[in-house]
Amino acid sequence: MQAALEEFQTAYTSSHPAVAVAHFLSPRAPPEDAARLHGFQRLSNEVMVTGDVQYAIETRMRRQMSPDEMRGWTEVISCYWRAVDRIVKAENAQHQGRFSERQALDVHDAWNDLTNNFVKHISNGALPFWTIFTLCLTANHLRLFAIQADEQMAKAKPVAFSAGFSDDIGGTPKNEKLGAAVRVFNKVFSLCLGDRSPDMNQSRKWGVYCVANLLFRTYFKLKTISLSKNLVRSIDAQSDLPQFQLYPLSHRVTYLYYVGLISFVQEDYSRAEVFLTQAWNLCYVHSTKNKELIMTYLIPCRLITHSTVPTSQLLNQFPDLNRLFGDLFRFIRKGDLSGFDRALAEGEPEFVKKRIFLTLERSRDIVLRNLFRNVFLAAGYEDLTEGQTEKDRIRKTRIPLAHFAAALRMSTAGAGGSQVIDDDEVECLLANTIYKNHMKGYISREHQMVVLGKKGAFPGTGV
Amino acid sequence: MAFPTSTVAWSQSPLQHPAYNSVAARTTLHRPASVQASVGFPRAEGLVLASLNRAQTEPSPSPEKPKSFPWSDAVREYVGRAFESQNVIESISNEEMTIKLRSVISFFAERGQLESVDWPTHPLPQEIIRDERAAKRGKATMSSSNGFTNSKLDFPQAKKRKPQDADEQQAGASIPPWRKANLEARITYTPGTEKRHKKNALLRDPPSKFDPTDLEKRKQRFNLDNNGNNKPAPPWGSPRQDSDSDMNTALCVGTNQSLEKSYFRLTAPPKPETVRPQHVLEKTLQMLTRKWKEEKNYGYICNQFKSLRQDLTVQHIKNAFTVKAYELHARIALEKGDLGEYNQCQTQLKELYEQNLPGNAAEFTAYRILYIVYTCNKVDMNDVLAELTAADKVQPWIKHALDVRSSVACGNYHKFFQLYLNTPNMGSYLIDMFVERERLHALANISKAYMTVALRFLTDELSFDNDDACCEFLTSIGAQHLLDSKIDQTGNRQIRIKTREGAALFEGLRKTAFRVVDIKGQI
Repeated sequence: MQAALEEFQTAYTSSHPAVAVAHFLSPRAPPEDAARLHGFQRLSNEVMVTGDVQYAIETRMRRQMSPDEMRGWTEVISCYWRAVDRIVKAENAQHQGRFSERQALDVHDAWNDLTNNFVKHISNGALPFWTIFTLCLTANHLRLFAIQADEQMAKAKPVAFSAGFSDDIGGTPKNEKLGAAVRVFNKVFSLCLGDRSPDMNQSRKWGVYCVANLLFRTYFKLKTISLSKNLVRSIDAQSDLPQFQLYPLSHRVTYLYYVGLISFVQEDYSRAEVFLTQAWNLCYVHSTKNKELIMTYLIPCRLITHSTVPTSQLLNQFPDLNRLFGDLFRFIRKGDLSGFDRALAEGEPEFVKKRIFLTLERSRDIVLRNLFRNVFLAAGYEDLTEGQTEKDRIRKTRIPLAHFAAALRMSTAGAGGSQVIDDDEVECLLANTIYKNHMKGYISREHQMVVLGKKGAFPGTGV
Repeated sequence: MAFPTSTVAWSQSPLQHPAYNSVAARTTLHRPASVQASVGFPRAEGLVLASLNRAQTEPSPSPEKPKSFPWSDAVREYVGRAFESQNVIESISNEEMTIKLRSVISFFAERGQLESVDWPTHPLPQEIIRDERAAKRGKATMSSSNGFTNSKLDFPQAKKRKPQDADEQQAGASIPPWRKANLEARITYTPGTEKRHKKNALLRDPPSKFDPTDLEKRKQRFNLDNNGNNKPAPPWGSPRQDSDSDMNTALCVGTNQSLEKSYFRLTAPPKPETVRPQHVLEKTLQMLTRKWKEEKNYGYICNQFKSLRQDLTVQHIKNAFTVKAYELHARIALEKGDLGEYNQCQTQLKELYEQNLPGNAAEFTAYRILYIVYTCNKVDMNDVLAELTAADKVQPWIKHALDVRSSVACGNYHKFFQLYLNTPNMGSYLIDMFVERERLHALANISKAYMTVALRFLTDELSFDNDDACCEFLTSIGAQHLLDSKIDQTGNRQIRIKTREGAALFEGLRKTAFRVVDIKGQI
């Protein structure tokens, strides 16, 4: 145990103790020392562990720590030993092919104990403030163990009956452990937000965004996205937080991304654009994965707010995005309805998974606008009158409905041929385009004509 | 939405449930064989009255100021009736009756409710005792055939019971439901205090406003003339211990044979004699289907379906029949616009289909999609889309619902109203909930894109039955001033609508209509 605690001491006294201690308390063995967990587990046993750790802590750390803090670490590290014990046993079980619900639950429960103990000793002030970051990393592991336990439980007993006197058959409790983890995270969150320590440098308030991000992630997994709003609201309501710019960049980018994402799924696209753009601007240049994630939502966002598609130059930087959106945007540019519908249908499963399908679907308006614009351009110019030069020729603004109908029918002809567009639907689509301000003009049913504005008939497209 | 057909069954208090009463009557069949020799008691009325009065006028141990309770004539009459010889029940001694009488009167006296009790119809003390005993015996005979009445033996799993269940059962189970129902029915509460009374009626012990030590003293006082075998704590409620069964572990198998049963929310583990087994429920479902066709009394049907669902749940019946019952209730609720019940059924059906039970999964998936179109919840819609398989997407009913969804999402009102006319199954009931909203949306579109349109065009585009219906709709939204009647060249009268002038009006109405929809009963 002394040897292990030497590692802890080094971590504790290093220049970045939060991360170093979190490495010490990691449930995964580092690649260069694959047997680390097994070695640590062999240092003690269930009965002796508390005494062992206590002795080691007291002999080593007496100078650095107050008695309270030593007690705190003793408990935390003993809990960690128990968790490692379960993890090692679970790994052994896995090698023997009998990893099941029981092991997953054991690991989860032990790690849950560790997290709760950590929370306890931080909230009673025994541990230094920076441990809040260590706790965040520990809590993140709790999230993973909870997901694992839930998966195993779902496998073990897929059918359950509701408890209590409910009148209906009732739902199977899914994600029970992850739901419990949310409560722990919430405790940590209020621990951060509610810290009253006067010295801002020693405040747990620095952990707020870190925990919030963890909670966002869990809420998305649990499909209770609406709960995230409460977090954002309580952070906004807290007036004495340190300036946002002073927080670690990683916390900020993730937070901005999530707030943008939450606004996005709730269809507040202008707000989403603001936050996602900020996240994009702050994002570390070389973290391609994160930049891709931000763009996955920022691009559909701008489709709605600005009716613009990204340049191929931008898409080419991200092969995954190009694969995802490339076809779709090509057809939007062309105003090819059947191609667009086909690309949308092909990408649907993945779009739905990323929650962008319903947003992308709305860009059909842009396809229509581009198609109608082509009709307008094809109609050409009015004949030159006296005194007019080539430069100020006027485009024909009265275009028969039949032309639009023909364009629509040509454009949809390819798509399986099942869609038949009747004349009323043509009018409906035109009315839609006019209503959404993609086109200026009006339809005259008596003359079967569309009368377009003389100037700026298609706002934002140069004609 | 209004239910013009809702009648008696609906207005009934959930506590008055005929099924339980009838069961109580059944249990009285086990009457005691031992008949004690009847003794003609002297009319000790005066004596008892005096002692009761003394008990009341004694300085009350409660922290509140001592009160004396002048007895009204009604109370006196009630006491008199209790002692009348024709009301004597053979198996109950005079002493027992007197104790019960005392506790009944002091129960109400302490609460200042002596005036509000309907004494002429209040059960006599000997009747209360009899009913209690009958209930106790009924329980004993049915729960254990070998004669043990120890409830622990009935349900070996009882040890696992969680602490919070204990509270629930304390509150609900200590008084048998039928007793509770009778008393509730007989007491007329003053409106302001009703809530507290209800709580009191449920609690075994008097309200907590009394000091616990005072309560103890009073208990002892009541114990004085007691033989020691009667528990004094409940005023007259039965001291019967209910079984400690857990809903999860103790599976109930019903024995009730009646086809009809009123819905009553469970507060305690159900008794097998009140629960109907599946073969009876199947007949019930047939009967309900017939009755619904004949009578269309939704209040009654809904109540019956809820009790049916409850019986299925408590017996853990989860099979094709369960699906059938839920589907039928969902359809009827949908027809009547009872979204609360409809959503409950839908939630359950989703679970049931996920377990691959046979049913009309496609039909109800289509309804679910249409309902989400109504609620405009994009997050939910995404979740539903994520769950659909490729096979689902080509199923005609689901495809129809998906087309409705996409036409609404794209604002393609022309396509939407065509789909509306060809809605399969009962989807129209769902679309009806948002068709007006879509009409306003279409009007807002049209008002921007056309200067004027013919009334006939609107009638066709917005799927009205005829021009009159369209006119009526326009009038109802305050757009009558936009109607413009003209005689054309051929001499026919033609009505046109000056849509451009109404653009602001329609846009305003559209915005109001698309505000967040109130979601009822969605779990």
